[in-house]
Amino acid sequence: MSAESLILFFIVGAFLVGVAVLFSSYVPPKSSNPQKFEPYECGIPTEGLTWLQFNVGYYMFSIIYLVFDVETIFLFPWAEVMKETGMRGFIEIVIFFFILGVGLLYAWKKGALKWE
Amino acid sequence: MLIMRHELLLVAILVILLLVEIFLPEKHKHRIIPLAIILMGVVTALGFIPGPTGSLFGGMYSTSNLVLIMKNILNIGTLVIFIQSAEWLKKDENREKISEYFIVLLSSLIGMFYMISSGDFLMFYLGLELATIPVAAAAAFERFKEKSAEAGVKLIFMSALSSGILLYGISMIYGTIGTMYFQDVAPKFTGSSLQVIAFIFFFAGMAFKISLVPFHLWAADVYEGAPINVTSYLSVVSKGAAVFILMILLYTVFTKIALMWRDVVYIIAILTMTVGNLFAMRQRNIKRFLAFSSISQAGFILLGIIGQSQLGMTTVIYFVLIYLFSNLGAFGVATAISNKTGKETIDDYDGFYRTNPLLSLAMMLSLFSLAGIPPLAGFFGKFFLFTAAAKQGLFILIVIAVLNTIISLYYYLLVIKAMFLNKSDQPIAYFKSDFYTRLGLLICSAGIIIIGFASPIYEWILQLSHGLIY
Repeated sequence: MSAESLILFFIVGAFLVGVAVLFSSYVPPKSSNPQKFEPYECGIPTEGLTWLQFNVGYYMFSIIYLVFDVETIFLFPWAEVMKETGMRGFIEIVIFFFILGVGLLYAWKKGALKWE
Repeated sequence: MLIMRHELLLVAILVILLLVEIFLPEKHKHRIIPLAIILMGVVTALGFIPGPTGSLFGGMYSTSNLVLIMKNILNIGTLVIFIQSAEWLKKDENREKISEYFIVLLSSLIGMFYMISSGDFLMFYLGLELATIPVAAAAAFERFKEKSAEAGVKLIFMSALSSGILLYGISMIYGTIGTMYFQDVAPKFTGSSLQVIAFIFFFAGMAFKISLVPFHLWAADVYEGAPINVTSYLSVVSKGAAVFILMILLYTVFTKIALMWRDVVYIIAILTMTVGNLFAMRQRNIKRFLAFSSISQAGFILLGIIGQSQLGMTTVIYFVLIYLFSNLGAFGVATAISNKTGKETIDDYDGFYRTNPLLSLAMMLSLFSLAGIPPLAGFFGKFFLFTAAAKQGLFILIVIAVLNTIISLYYYLLVIKAMFLNKSDQPIAYFKSDFYTRLGLLICSAGIIIIGFASPIYEWILQLSHGLIY
């Protein structure tokens, strides 16, 4: 183990990052106006506070979508080798679907499929 | 199939609990508690039946008899925690998420099992994530309490950070060697500069999970904010699993740089013991107190790991088993008090012996065992750890560890003094604890008393620990 190369690694790492930050703060011309400190909103002047509440209802659907997504991902390789794996593979994929199905049932029971 | 029986059994009861949650009418929801405890008990008992061991999926998953013991220990810990949670789950505000509590902890346990018996860094990482993320959900379980939500967020951020560091380490290992399988990595991990950095990153990531100093700062806040049963899960089962896998990896994968990691573990052990102890002395909140006490206990565990021998491995597993019962005993009493009265500071315990003698005795047993007072199991656990370190000739380390044991005695005795000697105008009134609390404390107390004397348990672990170092 050579300690020199380790030290070199960290020095070079710190140097590169430091140079990049310093370079970009010194070199470009600076101009300041109040609009620069506002959040970017397609060029239109911002209105009201940014601490708005918005509906997060879609996240539930994306989580449930994941169930079907994973199902499809596993279905394709199984379909490809279905003949070789035979009955055993079939039973395994059925168990897999069963567990995913239970997950979907659970989401349904908890009312995740309702749009409020 | 049979090789993976521990994991499959857990998946089975997880699915059963989900189905029960779906089809059980709302007014019978509380029946899930005994059901989950009984199922977990059955799984724990089934886990002890000897069966085939070996590796699956081209070496990505492998078990040995020693790994099975570790899994059984974790099973026992989870079972006791389930029993201790019963009273808390019966409260009105938790009624509608009883089964979720069990499901979340069970999935985390499955993750730990995969982590312990992984044969490959990818599998290890998947298991680690599966073990961590559900616990964050569990920490934020009382989501309308600010502290609980804060604990969940802190835990998820800290584990994301530590996972990032750990993954960086793993990627460097892959970069230098070109494989992820433990067996292929081990002979080629010779300690070139990049591999040293990889090891340091990897170790730092694991140290976060075990909350070793200097990566311990998240522990106290998370432990304090999380529901007390989740705290005991974090401090016993999570920590135990992480210690096990760290030990396995240090012994099997990083063998060639053993001289180097020994120094690292040496320094971190001293730091962890001392800092954990010094901070524990100042705590007034019982959860924070137990958090720092568990940090310093983790430092003692490192003493066994440093032994790097069959003896070291045996003592670590033995100590974790004892630590499990002692810590869960202390947490059990704290849970009972917190459930009945909502009091969580040590000052509230003044005069507790006069009103609730049995609970005080259980607490005393657990704390004495944690402190390592003979003839309780904790003494033997610590004694064997010191022996393992002494075999390597690390006498300075042992002297420091013994000094720390004496310091720790002081703050454990503070709690006992509060309960037995201090007088209070308004002591916690007498209350009758329910069946589950008693059962949990009975198991812990029996464990503390019996394991110290039962040398067959130690011999059994020692005998099985031949197999691990390959």
